[in-house]
Amino acid sequence: MAKKNPDCQVYVVTSGKGGVGKTTAVANLSTGLAKQGYSVVVMDLDIGLKKLDLILGLENRVIYDIVQVVEGECTLRQALVKDKRFPDLFMLPAAQTRNKDDLTAEQVVEVCKELRPDFDFIIIDCPAGIEKGFQNAIAAADKAIVVTNPEVSAVRDADRIIGMLESAEFRDIKLLVNRIRPDMVRRGDMLSIEDLIEHLCIELLGVVPEDSGVVISTNRGEPIILDEKSSAAQAFNNVVQRMMGKEVPFMTLQEESFWGKLKRNFGFGR
Amino acid sequence: MLNFLKRIFSNGQPSSRSRANDRLRVVLTHDRVGASNHLMETLQTEIIALIARHMEIDGTPEVRLITEGRHSALDISIPLKGR
Repeated sequence: MAKKNPDCQVYVVTSGKGGVGKTTAVANLSTGLAKQGYSVVVMDLDIGLKKLDLILGLENRVIYDIVQVVEGECTLRQALVKDKRFPDLFMLPAAQTRNKDDLTAEQVVEVCKELRPDFDFIIIDCPAGIEKGFQNAIAAADKAIVVTNPEVSAVRDADRIIGMLESAEFRDIKLLVNRIRPDMVRRGDMLSIEDLIEHLCIELLGVVPEDSGVVISTNRGEPIILDEKSSAAQAFNNVVQRMMGKEVPFMTLQEESFWGKLKRNFGFGR
Repeated sequence: MLNFLKRIFSNGQPSSRSRANDRLRVVLTHDRVGASNHLMETLQTEIIALIARHMEIDGTPEVRLITEGRHSALDISIPLKGR
């Protein structure tokens, strides 16, 4: 395992509301970082409702899970699932037949402490909600990425989550806006990036446009960031660069052209 | 021309985006300080009653929550009658 940096950055990816694209973001950002040569571990803390293994296409390789690690049934090394594509990307699976109470915040901190010396990035996939699972997920993290959609209920939940992260003394909280549709924003039918920043008052980490390719890549178990032509991949790649400490301008969201739409609707391309 | 068509089809209604912004502004302000509409009404009545006990109020007094970034404040504006 080739660790690039002496220190390890621990991110929690959270949102409050479910279905905004947390797990998709975790899968893509971790894959993107691994592609850049970093050693990365993703931790699925959605105990009882796991999805990260499916999104990463690693469901057939899972043997042990994090609950078995903390209960001493296996070692942490044994539970880590190696990615198909990148040798320095690992996943620590959630347990499917257990629940959030089978893990404590202290245990999560302990697992992270053991992983830190070997990895550049630890990315924690937080379950939806503000209960125990959320508390467990934020306990070990230094930085938070709040994922939201340009939609009132998602923004309200994001605001609540940001408040809770601030109470938990997080200094580094950044916003990832997922599934924005520039054509709808322009028509006045969707909240814009500026609107979201005004409401939530936090720094922007990235903007990912709505992209039907995400459904297709999820069907295949291949993160869309690997399909470099897609607009979502470019957006996730920019976020990866920013996580590496580079300054990347925010891309101006191109609206789909008439020909692009025609092609898409008639099944050409891709 | 485009604006003219837009106006016809939107029949003078504000865009759904601006409605969303207005609704979020109110809801987030209330969420952050844990104040419901009912609490705001109670506060308004009690504050005005308190002032009215000592001074003469003139016009329309207002008690509302205002926000600056993630910080909120109670904005109380009570016009008083001069002598």
